[in-house]
Amino acid sequence: MAPASVGEMKRPEPIGEDEGTATAAESIPAGAAADPDVALMLRLQAGDQAAFQDLFQKFSPRVVQYARRLVGSEARAEEVTQDVFVQVFRFRHRYRPESRFSTWLFTIATNLCLNEIRRPERRLRVDLWKPRGDDDDRREGPQLADPAAITPEQGASSRELARQLEAAVGELPPKQRAALLLSRVDGLAYRDVAEALGCTEGAVKALLFRATQSLKKTLREYL
Amino acid sequence: MRCQRAQKWMTAAVDGELSARRRRALDGHLAACAACRRELAVTERMLTALAGLPMEAAVSARLEQATLRRVRLAAADEAERAPASRWARWLPLPAFALATAAVLVLAIGIVRRTGQVPSAPAVRAPRVDARGVAQAPSSLLRPPRRFAEAPPAEPPAKLAEAPDLFVDMPIIRNLDKMTHFEAIQTTTLDDEPATPDGQEPPSNG
Repeated sequence: MAPASVGEMKRPEPIGEDEGTATAAESIPAGAAADPDVALMLRLQAGDQAAFQDLFQKFSPRVVQYARRLVGSEARAEEVTQDVFVQVFRFRHRYRPESRFSTWLFTIATNLCLNEIRRPERRLRVDLWKPRGDDDDRREGPQLADPAAITPEQGASSRELARQLEAAVGELPPKQRAALLLSRVDGLAYRDVAEALGCTEGAVKALLFRATQSLKKTLREYL
Repeated sequence: MRCQRAQKWMTAAVDGELSARRRRALDGHLAACAACRRELAVTERMLTALAGLPMEAAVSARLEQATLRRVRLAAADEAERAPASRWARWLPLPAFALATAAVLVLAIGIVRRTGQVPSAPAVRAPRVDARGVAQAPSSLLRPPRRFAEAPPAEPPAKLAEAPDLFVDMPIIRNLDKMTHFEAIQTTTLDDEPATPDGQEPPSNG
């Protein structure tokens, strides 16, 4: 990733008087203080804009990928990613160190992606996850990491499974897709997925069960 | 345990999110059900494949620069608004309380300077003429401005040339009945003969 112009983002640079900083800093749980992401967020709350750049560089690749899979369009995913990080900055004082930064970040990302999916004009856009033609193989696509694959045949098979899996995930209803991506791809605990989706852990389990059943049905021949 | 329930718990079991009690119940079922063991294996393969999908995508420099530009704008916007919000923080009372206080201070100031309550009308002692008869203030003797001039005996020339503007229409005289719109259909205008009882008014179509 090429570095962005950072001339105007000197460190530390007070943003203004931060009314939320004192309350957030006072209520830092013992475990959260050691979390480097929480530390970055607290620095951002204290007015250090360079902390924002660190957060962006660390988390934007995950947010872009998550948004791509959720909204299905690379261009829209980039726009949503921008909006996500601008909201992180604007609402930085609302973040409380009691929850992990990634959970808070993916809550914002999920809300914006689901809003984007609901927009009617989205239906006119090209679906990124539709099966591609042969020329699309040259593109940078998802590669399934499969250390167990020894032969070229097995490697090709796992790549094919990955591609089919991406396509099948793209066909899931948005909430099932979000729950599956957050829990399996981004590795969030069910509790954090529930927080990001604004539902209960029981609802997350139900979403994941339905998503898994759909995928198994679609991909039976590859599994 | 039935197979349907076992399958419902498989995803959570693979994710390590199943409670110990349910995990034991699932294990007990799997030990006895070959079909569910196969299903669990399929579930595991699929979830493993999902976990192997790339978690990150390349972020273009353009995206990073555009985001940082928007954040700088947001920061500048906040900085502009900051002095106003700092000033507002020194106002512990709600706006209406401040407004009330300001009005009170103003009223007290006026009373102190003039010795009169501003809201009360100024009452002057009536003047007494040489005969000892009190005279009304001249303002009361003057006719109100609206009636200062007597209405003209003749209409203006322009209106006099257009007598059709003054057509005498019964509906205009009966405008007060329009306020009872729902009852108007059963009400006769003053100038119209009443319809005989039990007869519908003639339709216009």
